[in-house]
Amino acid sequence: MTKLKAAPRLDPHPTQLIDRSASIEFAFGGRPVQAFEGDTVASALYAAGVRTFSRSFKYHRPRGLLCVAGRCPNCLVNVDGVPNVRSCTEAARPGMNVTSQNAWPSLDRDILSVLDRFGPLMPVGFYYKTFHRPKLFWRLAQPIIRRVAGLGKIDVDSAHPAGYAHQNLHTDVAVVGGGATGISAALSANLGAAVTLIDDSPVLGGHLRFDTTSHSVVPSVDPSPGFEVAAELVRQVRSSAGITVLSNSVAFGLYEDNLLGVLTTDRLVKRRAGRIVMATGSIEQPLVFDGNDRPGVMLSSGAQRLVRLYGVKPGETAVVATATNEGYAAALDLHNAGVRVAALVDTRPEPAWGALPDAVRAAEIPTLVSHAVTLAEGRAEVKAAVVQKLEGGVPIGERQRLACDIICMSGNLEPADALVRQSGGLDIPKNVYAAGSVAGAGNLAQAVDQGRQAGTLAAGSSSELPLAGSSPPERAAPFLSGKKSFVCFCEDISTADIDQAIDEGFDDIQTLKRYSTVTMGPCQGKMCHAAVAAISARATGKSLSEVGSTTSRPPLQPVPMSALAGRVHLPIKRTPMDRKHIDLGAKMVDLGPWRRPFSYGSPQDESISVRERVGIIDVSTLGKLDVRGPDSPALLDKVYTHNFSGLRNGRIRYGVLCADNGTIMDDGTVTRLADDRYFITTTSGNVESIEEWFKWWMAGTDIEAYVTNVTSGFAAINVAGPKARETLSKLTDIDLSTDGFRYMRSKEGVVAGVPSVLLRIGFVGETGWEVHFPGEFGEHMWDALMDAGRDFGIAPFGLEAQRILRLEKGHIIVGQDTDIVSTPLDSDMEWVVRFEKEDFIGRGGLVAARDRGLTNKLVGFRMRDGTVPDDGDPIVDRGQPIGKVTSARLSPTIGKGFGLAWVPVELAEEGRNISIRIAGADVPATVSLTPVYDSEGKRLKE
Amino acid sequence: MAFLLTCPNCGDRSVYEFRFGGELTQRPKPDSSSNDWTSYFYDRRNAAGTQKEWWYHKFGCRKWIVAARNTITNEVSETAWPDLG
Ligand code: FES
Repeated sequence: MTKLKAAPRLDPHPTQLIDRSASIEFAFGGRPVQAFEGDTVASALYAAGVRTFSRSFKYHRPRGLLCVAGRCPNCLVNVDGVPNVRSCTEAARPGMNVTSQNAWPSLDRDILSVLDRFGPLMPVGFYYKTFHRPKLFWRLAQPIIRRVAGLGKIDVDSAHPAGYAHQNLHTDVAVVGGGATGISAALSANLGAAVTLIDDSPVLGGHLRFDTTSHSVVPSVDPSPGFEVAAELVRQVRSSAGITVLSNSVAFGLYEDNLLGVLTTDRLVKRRAGRIVMATGSIEQPLVFDGNDRPGVMLSSGAQRLVRLYGVKPGETAVVATATNEGYAAALDLHNAGVRVAALVDTRPEPAWGALPDAVRAAEIPTLVSHAVTLAEGRAEVKAAVVQKLEGGVPIGERQRLACDIICMSGNLEPADALVRQSGGLDIPKNVYAAGSVAGAGNLAQAVDQGRQAGTLAAGSSSELPLAGSSPPERAAPFLSGKKSFVCFCEDISTADIDQAIDEGFDDIQTLKRYSTVTMGPCQGKMCHAAVAAISARATGKSLSEVGSTTSRPPLQPVPMSALAGRVHLPIKRTPMDRKHIDLGAKMVDLGPWRRPFSYGSPQDESISVRERVGIIDVSTLGKLDVRGPDSPALLDKVYTHNFSGLRNGRIRYGVLCADNGTIMDDGTVTRLADDRYFITTTSGNVESIEEWFKWWMAGTDIEAYVTNVTSGFAAINVAGPKARETLSKLTDIDLSTDGFRYMRSKEGVVAGVPSVLLRIGFVGETGWEVHFPGEFGEHMWDALMDAGRDFGIAPFGLEAQRILRLEKGHIIVGQDTDIVSTPLDSDMEWVVRFEKEDFIGRGGLVAARDRGLTNKLVGFRMRDGTVPDDGDPIVDRGQPIGKVTSARLSPTIGKGFGLAWVPVELAEEGRNISIRIAGADVPATVSLTPVYDSEGKRLKE
Repeated sequence: MAFLLTCPNCGDRSVYEFRFGGELTQRPKPDSSSNDWTSYFYDRRNAAGTQKEWWYHKFGCRKWIVAARNTITNEVSETAWPDLG
């Protein structure tokens, strides 16, 4: 396609950011665009003649550059697949691919712009009233509305390449705003504190950096042009070691206790500050008249930015409409850039005075006082401005038509106070100071002075009152009512819409916002809040302060979801023997925080090898708590349903932990190592919460016990099977004989040269020992056991085999076979509850549950045919679900499906028939109250 | 939610280091009525204003503390070691 032809730039000037010696090229809608280093996407496109940058949200009207400062919705484009990028702040980079959004088939011919002709179909509050009746119509309309609604398209494949990192940082003083005020605050604060200066532009200095008028900041020093004052301030910041500068960074949220949310180009910074100086400046407001959204109508500061920062001539003939002296500065800048200023239209009733108006008069720019622009003619480009005389704020009399291709407008400067107001109240929060034009400073000298004072206060330890800004006078630029006089550019809301909403009764600014959606778009009220407040004040006869403002909330500027999400962090815990499992080709699974071997091949074969020979399983993931201290018996008696003060040294007991309402939280073994010392295991995922739980029941009491989570310090291997004893005895001198080391006993000793604790327990139902030892010997112990068992046919087994084996023994897994309402009573473990203890955690709830009687019970079942149910399959009775399977497997022992299930208590009897719905068919099964394997428990004890 | 909690052990720390443990409740005596137990299990005052709460310094010293927090403003007026007397 043809290249977009760039118009020549203005003569070089020190305020310009572009480097004319460095040319770059990028694509816009497939067409190559020429730019310079230092250009933004928007400045390059504008220089290349692009006037329409986007299509509006509701009516798809063409929109052009408005603020050129990243504060409005008008220049949103898609850059390399990322939607809603503000082209006026996005640096131009070689090779970037820029496309328009919200327009089809193209920006210039957007079919949906017919919506502009159907305005009456979308009255204010249309979300609440249009298309709802008749019902059928809504059903047809909804999918279409869905399709055209929203701004930009998300391309899921082109997220921010590396993801945004999150950073948590502290600073003594944070200064928000890198203009003259902010810099002055930072310099003063830096005399006694570490300072972070946060600025949303690529270059510090605020608007002063393109101000050519003379200023004297220090009375004794000769006045010099604003941009030179700015350069000097920036130089001072750069040479101050204690000031960290965050450029291109938006402070989008002010949270409790002075936490600032800051979005940089690649990071989300959560910066906690001792004190904050808000030097956020002010925002020039648009004027409201018919057609004020046409491409070519822009803020006067926007036009100045194009001229001063990028050397781009904004047009040939301009009309400047203003309500303050700002417009005079813009008119001069345009005039000096070779733009013919057809008229400077001042809405104020009296001629302006001061240096700027004098200069305008000297330049012979025609000036109309007490006049307003009432209409911008043209469609995709401005053709003329219609000007009328004002009387009492109302246009009257003859309409003058002034041909032009740009209209620059300048309403009042509104304090950019949205960030301060996020604290909720009208008061400035404590340890926050406002300075400069946000606090009402009227000129540069005042602003700099306030900045210095605020900086000094913020660095000091005294907590004087925040600076009372000289509050700006109550005034508002006049606005005109019309269907296409836009107040809110984001959501296409005109003065007529606002008037109508107020007529309908939404006369409070908060409800007006919700009903009309004004201030709710991408600009978050920066371009519209002041006008809405003024219209509301006029309509309701209130003063501006009575009208108040809408609630300000984060984010101040749009923040990408990927920035909030941050990078993906899924840390996984690996056991000390992890490499052994990988070498053995284990299939791994992530369970809770851990990565564990699911199986080394065939779970069924692994089960058989444990039953017939010997197997080892890595159980390092078990939670392990060391409890010691004179009151540890009392602590355990309190938190467990069972009795542990009576447990003799060297013995092990199964324990269940209940919440105080009697429901099961966790289970595990409790081993008494000494009078004042216990070793406790918990389920793999729960150890942290159990540690908290123990400590909670000790907090504020005089129980003297110490709970230490030793989970990651210890590895553990369960050696189980008929040959477990022979295997282990090759590695230790400990007496492992049936009588020398009985079931549910523990011993401390050396295994394979490593000091270990051995627990003789039998989760899988075989003769076996759980060997706990320091984690650093994990691989050594694993190898030693594999070697020792080689002659006996040892094989490692994984999680799945363990699940089959324990299920054959009817041993439950908390969380798998129990749920949030299960108690030890209905889980068939009444024996672990010692009601005779005067008190324990859960007793109140369990007494109540016992008195109420059970409704359901956990039972074993066996299939009669060859089917194997899935975990979770329903138990049905005449088609209705009455219970569910919690665990089911194929038993290697009986060769049939079996498992555990919740059934109504009347069915919880040996031999009762139940039906399980498996893949749609009801399959018969039998309740069985004895384990599938070794029901007398002989193997365990051999 | 971004406020700071003053851990009596570790000083001012971000609330994200803590686990919330709910409002302070009074556990009934063992022989209390089942109504009292039920109310203790499930009823909460849920005050709109300052209440005493449990907080656990999970990513810190791993100790439980008690904080007086205003549930409307998140202002923490006091933190202390628990004392259940
Ligand atoms: S023109 Fe880019 S945000 Fe306003």
